[in-house]
Amino acid sequence: MQSDVTSFASLAPAYPELLMAVGAVVVLLLALFWKNVRPGVIAVVAIVLLLATLAVLVLQPASGVLFNGIVIVDGFARYMKALVLGAAAATVMISLSNSKEHGIDKFEYSVLVLLATLGMMIMVSANDLMSLYIGLELQSLALYVVAAMKREDPRAAEAGIKYFVLGALSSGMLLYGASLVYGFTGTTQLDQIVAAITLETRSIGLIFGMVFLLAGIAFKISAVPFHMWTPDVYEGAPTPVTAFFAAAPKVAAMALFIRVTTVSFGPITKDWQQIVIFLSIASMVLASFAAIGQDNLKRLLAYSSIGHVGFALVGLSAGTAVGVEGVAVYMAIYVAMTVGIFACVLALRTEDGRPVETITALAGLAQRKPFVAAIIAILMFSLIGLPPLAGFFAKWQVFLAAVEQNLFVLAVIGVLASAVSAFYYLRIIKVMYFDEPVAKFAAVPGELTAVMAGVGFLIVTYFFTVARPLTDAAHAAAGSLF
Amino acid sequence: MAFPARPPGQRLPLKLPEVTAILQGSATIVWLPVGQTSTVCGTMSGVALLPFIILLPFIGALAIWLLPARARSSASLLAGAVAVALTASCLWLYGSVADGTVLRNELTWLPQFGLNLVARMDGLSWLFATMIAGIGGLIVLYAHYYMSPKDSMPRFLAFLLAFKGAMLGIVLSGNLIQIVAFWELTSVFSFLLIGYWHHTSAARDGARMALVITGAGGFALFGGMLLLGHIVGSYDLDVVLAAGDKVRSDPLYTPTLLLILLAAFTKSAQFPFQFWLPRAMAAPTPVSAYLHSATMVKAGVFLLTVFWPVLAGTSTWFWIVTYVGLATLLLGAYSAIFQQDMKGLLAYSTVSHLGLITTLLGMNSQLALVAAVFHIVNHATFKASLFMAAGIIDHEAGTRDIRKLSGLYRYMPATATLAIVASAAMAGVPLLNGFLSKEMFFGETALRNPIPFVDVSLPAVAIVASLFAVTYSLRFVHGVFFGPPPTELDRVPHEPPALMRRPIEILVLICLLVGIIPGLTIGPFLATAVKSVLGPDMPYYSLSVWHGFNWALAMSLVALAGGVILFLLLQKYLARGIEAPPFIGHIVGPRIFERLLILLSVRWAKAAERLLGTRRLQPQLVLLVAVATLAAAIPTLGGIGLLPLPPTTFDPGLALVWVVGMTCAVGAAVQAKYHRLVALMLLGGAGLATSITFVWYSAPDLALTQLLVEVVTTILILLGLRWLPQRLETSEIDPFRRFSLHRLRDLALATIAGGGIALLSYAVMTRDAPDGIARFLLENAYTEGGGRNVVNVILVDFRAFDTFGEITVLGIVALATYALLRRFRPAADSIPRPEQQRVQSAFESQRDDHKEGTILSEFLYVPSVLMRWLFPVIVTFAAFLLLRGHDLPGGGFIAGITLAIGFILQYLAGGTRWTEERLRILPVYWIGTGLLLALVTGAASWLFGYPFLTTSFQYVDVPVLGRVPVASALLFDIGVFILVVGATVLMLIAIAHQSLRSAKRDAQPPGKTAPMIEREKA
Repeated sequence: MQSDVTSFASLAPAYPELLMAVGAVVVLLLALFWKNVRPGVIAVVAIVLLLATLAVLVLQPASGVLFNGIVIVDGFARYMKALVLGAAAATVMISLSNSKEHGIDKFEYSVLVLLATLGMMIMVSANDLMSLYIGLELQSLALYVVAAMKREDPRAAEAGIKYFVLGALSSGMLLYGASLVYGFTGTTQLDQIVAAITLETRSIGLIFGMVFLLAGIAFKISAVPFHMWTPDVYEGAPTPVTAFFAAAPKVAAMALFIRVTTVSFGPITKDWQQIVIFLSIASMVLASFAAIGQDNLKRLLAYSSIGHVGFALVGLSAGTAVGVEGVAVYMAIYVAMTVGIFACVLALRTEDGRPVETITALAGLAQRKPFVAAIIAILMFSLIGLPPLAGFFAKWQVFLAAVEQNLFVLAVIGVLASAVSAFYYLRIIKVMYFDEPVAKFAAVPGELTAVMAGVGFLIVTYFFTVARPLTDAAHAAAGSLF
Repeated sequence: MAFPARPPGQRLPLKLPEVTAILQGSATIVWLPVGQTSTVCGTMSGVALLPFIILLPFIGALAIWLLPARARSSASLLAGAVAVALTASCLWLYGSVADGTVLRNELTWLPQFGLNLVARMDGLSWLFATMIAGIGGLIVLYAHYYMSPKDSMPRFLAFLLAFKGAMLGIVLSGNLIQIVAFWELTSVFSFLLIGYWHHTSAARDGARMALVITGAGGFALFGGMLLLGHIVGSYDLDVVLAAGDKVRSDPLYTPTLLLILLAAFTKSAQFPFQFWLPRAMAAPTPVSAYLHSATMVKAGVFLLTVFWPVLAGTSTWFWIVTYVGLATLLLGAYSAIFQQDMKGLLAYSTVSHLGLITTLLGMNSQLALVAAVFHIVNHATFKASLFMAAGIIDHEAGTRDIRKLSGLYRYMPATATLAIVASAAMAGVPLLNGFLSKEMFFGETALRNPIPFVDVSLPAVAIVASLFAVTYSLRFVHGVFFGPPPTELDRVPHEPPALMRRPIEILVLICLLVGIIPGLTIGPFLATAVKSVLGPDMPYYSLSVWHGFNWALAMSLVALAGGVILFLLLQKYLARGIEAPPFIGHIVGPRIFERLLILLSVRWAKAAERLLGTRRLQPQLVLLVAVATLAAAIPTLGGIGLLPLPPTTFDPGLALVWVVGMTCAVGAAVQAKYHRLVALMLLGGAGLATSITFVWYSAPDLALTQLLVEVVTTILILLGLRWLPQRLETSEIDPFRRFSLHRLRDLALATIAGGGIALLSYAVMTRDAPDGIARFLLENAYTEGGGRNVVNVILVDFRAFDTFGEITVLGIVALATYALLRRFRPAADSIPRPEQQRVQSAFESQRDDHKEGTILSEFLYVPSVLMRWLFPVIVTFAAFLLLRGHDLPGGGFIAGITLAIGFILQYLAGGTRWTEERLRILPVYWIGTGLLLALVTGAASWLFGYPFLTTSFQYVDVPVLGRVPVASALLFDIGVFILVVGATVLMLIAIAHQSLRSAKRDAQPPGKTAPMIEREKA
């Protein structure tokens, strides 16, 4: 077999990954041999590396298939990678000012985030069941460690071990599914699997393979019923880590989900559609109800993220380019909202420096910190999906795609789940605005204010500022899959 | 059709088909400099005003928001200026819409999603916009005097203006989704307005209730609009309005209708959602006067009116809308009679009047629609003035309780007169506007209907409800303004500032003018509004006070007379201070709502979490496996077919081995909780079964590897196991007695999942293997790699680069293990010393010639001698495996592990101290040497011009051994061998050394550690 890597220039589509891989190792060595460097400096270097990779990705529009077909760089991959990189950079940035109290002021944190991001980039670009798995594991292994980064905290350790055990099980399922797919189609390359499937030859073995494969990925996007780890890990892990978990890996896993379903299993769309619809409805409904009873902010956000994955899956359920476009837009808006809400959560510290983690502790925030309260309120309304905020348009696009495919029941359940979810989001607003303040809050670091202001601005003016370029990009991205 | 180019400013009357044509793409498209396309119809200057009308309130709100909290007057002035500008713009635009023109200003934004910004005005929306803008202006004036200096005026007015903008947005939107957006905005801003006095719990609860109900309705509207747009194929309002027949004949009509009605009913407080409105009375009175007369609650009926041409005309529409409206009408009027709070009475009256409008809209009659629109305007005027009057009384008298108030006429005659006139309009007294629309309502209900139930129920409910309306109006007027002077007030009431009364005066004047000369005042506006809904073919209706003696008049008279009589009868009962209406008083909407919320938010949420959100790991694992099993079971049972399971020959001997292996596995699972040592040994048994299977199927290489890895890992795990805490006390160890239900469940699940996996694996492995790389490897192993042992050739030749990577990783792992354990302080052993040692040392210590340590040194003496003697044998065996590896089972990896087993045996036999004293290999060097050797071997091929890791091979005659194959790969394999030995021994040292530490810790004071690696360096 001849290699298709003939020169360095022929690697152009993989430049971002190469930069990231080399960069991550360099950062690791730098941190090791640079005596007494503060972890914050390494974190800044990591942010620079993430942004540089993002710049290379955006400015170097090479696409193509590499390494004998196991890696593909197309419009979709580039869009999703840009989201992943942006999310990773933003989440590292919002952890800068508070890494100490969350026990992640270690340079390993930055390096692991870089490696996880590299894994995500590979996941997004995977065109083969093997590269898919390698990317997924690189990401997951880094995340397992990151979850337990605050070693002395038993909650973090518990979160790490739970994530690891359940994640290993789901990886096993995914591998099992992959080998079944290989066994019944004779190939591991995603775009060749599709050629081996026709409606007539669709066999039970192949369906099993697909089911297990999707189950493994559903675990990574934490769709119900594979969501159990999410609240525990989100609650147990240090908050900046939770922010990272909620943003970048979700995007990467969702990209993987989309690519596997639309590219490989196109001919049996009807089969995976049922799975996606089930995951979607279960996620939306269960998350909406289960979130209501939560008082822990991170647990609530965990359920919120489960719900939003459900909403995004509404778009994928359609199984069309419009649907994928909707999911792409949804994930972008979801990432922005997630970064914003975690910036708010991280910005809130009591006067004696303890982080605020419960909803009751937000009482009277509007009087003490009106700006943060206003941003949280905007984000809550956007998460509910109230027009004309960005969250509404995200939902609009996925519901539109579902309705176009006559999935009315799904769309209506989605809308009703939004209404139910409004309940717990509104509770936060009520507590912030209507309850009497109890605690005093410490000053908010500047960069968090900037992130909050930026996200707030984009969410409010979404329709007039970002909507067009974003939907155009998403359109192009979805177009490259169909 | 193509439009001729037209000079700007020329009016272009548009009818619906033309609008549709424009939307279908044949319109003049003006390219704007920013790249947006825009279609513009109607007067150029007029349409330019439309976005301005929507945006101005928001801009004003932002400006006022930025004012300091004390800037009371400037805030009011600014808000007033905005209101005047809006009203003036609306009035000015009347000329453009009067002839049925539809003004459109469209900004193409995201056409692929139907999301274009369309500002649109027709007669109906003009009427609403003017009402919203005009009454909004009066409210600002009123609020300036009403709000106390303690309240932040800018915040209040900013909310109010933003709310006004949202309302204008609803009525002036030409796109369905835009309507939804503004709809939700009104919910949000009404929430902020109702909860403005957030220090009172009533305001908080009321605000939340209003938001939950109307916000949820907004989501229903979103769903309905999605469906409606899907049916029509466009989200443009004009296109939708032109597609009425298509919508009504669509199978999705009913769900669409239900969702949109849900939205309208929640917003307009129709039964059974009426209860949020009275609760919203906790808002400051200007808010109530605005939200519950002209705006918020009118949004629902506006929606019904706008979509009347599309959705009405079916029997579903008739039955739902008419009867929900009737129920609301009756319930609201009945409850209003028994209110003690002035605002509560007005609130229930509002509910009732909204029910009346809804009923009219539901009748599928054009005349009824005219009456509905007329009543919307009338109700807005008299109800706004009544709320404001109630606010003045509250403000000046300090209470709104009708029981405490009395005889206020003598203190504030002007306000009282105004309120009395407005109440008369509310009751439907002739010569006032309320009378006219109520007459039309009576006229419509009195029409004969072929269905007996309808024929009776409509007029009957109409009369009874109107009768109640007269009663509660009388009660309001009589209770507050007449009777003896009030005794329970803490102040002497007086007239408010004249300017505060001015808005009421204007509104009451309108009531009178419309009531007396309707044709000259409201007539043309009403006609324009109705025309835009019904099209040019309007039904004949007459707006005049006297239509002769007919059914409607008779019903009015009955209602008036009956109302007075009922009031007289009830006077004593009401004076007793009842708190809730009789018969239905115990059915309290808010309480039911709260209960529902609690059910939803506490019980169901908790249940959902309990059911599916455990924090324990084991149930989570169980769920994950169960779901996966289920996911696999569903397609099988769903009829896709069964797995292809071809028959195959089966050796009973192997089956027995498997039975043993499976038994071992099950035993390990059972014991895992109680006795880890036993579980680990049983696991070894299962591994052995696997090894035997490999041998059985002619894979000696795999079998050997498996066996050796099994041995090494078992021992390494054993070494670590002693620090893990025992989970259960030894006394509890009786696994079979404690075979509880959930263990049985786990066993069943494991059996099913495992069985399924076995079946699947079988199905895959009995298929023809895909044409992969295997054939190539088998065919070329000897010719290209010079070896007959294909596995080994793959490892050291074909995939040597992989192997190189793997041994690197192995080396790193060993170093990492060592580094991690270097500072490890083990816990006390959880496993006691062997019984022999304990018993025997107890016995020995009794003896006189007792010396410390003899027992330990002579423990297992015979086996340890044997193990020491075995060492050279093992070394030879390892060398043998290494050398034959290329052709026969064996190889560097296997040989390395074999040698490592030799070292392990020495550790077992002699103990850590004895072995380390005699250990002559330095593991770190071994690791480095092995890696370098492999690297150099691979790099050597470059010297000969071949790629990295290319092998060459030949046979060489070696003395004693005979003819052996020698490939350069052998050197590589030796590198692997050396590294594996080094890595395993390093790990062994790191782990075994811990026992020295714990022993030392027991003996010596802590702080000193054994210099282990230092000796190596020396």
